[in-house]
Amino acid sequence: MSEMINGVRIGHPVPDFQLNCYDPQAHDFKPVTLAEQKDAGKWTILFFYPADFTFV
Amino acid sequence: MGAALITVSTDTEFTHLAWKRDEKELADVQYLMGADPTGTVSKLFGVYDPGSGLALRGTFIIAPDGTLFNSEVNFYNMGRNIDELMRKFKANLYLARKADEGCPSKWKDEGDKTLRPGPEMVGKVHEALND
Repeated sequence: MSEMINGVRIGHPVPDFQLNCYDPQAHDFKPVTLAEQKDAGKWTILFFYPADFTFV
Repeated sequence: MGAALITVSTDTEFTHLAWKRDEKELADVQYLMGADPTGTVSKLFGVYDPGSGLALRGTFIIAPDGTLFNSEVNFYNMGRNIDELMRKFKANLYLARKADEGCPSKWKDEGDKTLRPGPEMVGKVHEALND
């Protein structure tokens, strides 16, 4: 665990990132970037969990 | 609400689809399911566990300008309280409009008592919260 390096800090800008997503509403795959969230004026909530097919 | 909830694990987007399709508990899921098989985004947020290759239970709220407002990380076996996440999110929305106020720990929703830091509050938080 000590190897973990936290690249983000509270109150500071988050570097841009991209996630390939499954979008259940469109039943399709699509890439999502922080940059496009910002362009759309949207808040982003990231909810990390260990693995699919387990409890979240 | 002008927000996107993205769940993220080190599974692929294809596994997400299969899980969503098979697990009845996820029948109503509308949010985006993000794939981070390389762990790049998990590492960026400091939730990647190299021993397992999995992400810890981390929650992060990012403002529309890209600023990180909240982070919470739990170990594998502790679940999160969605009410607390929503409380933090609503407080962020409120404070984005009223930057000179503060939302105390028991603040739940619009209309609840807030604090306005200033000289008159020093040593008088109890009175400010309870009067």
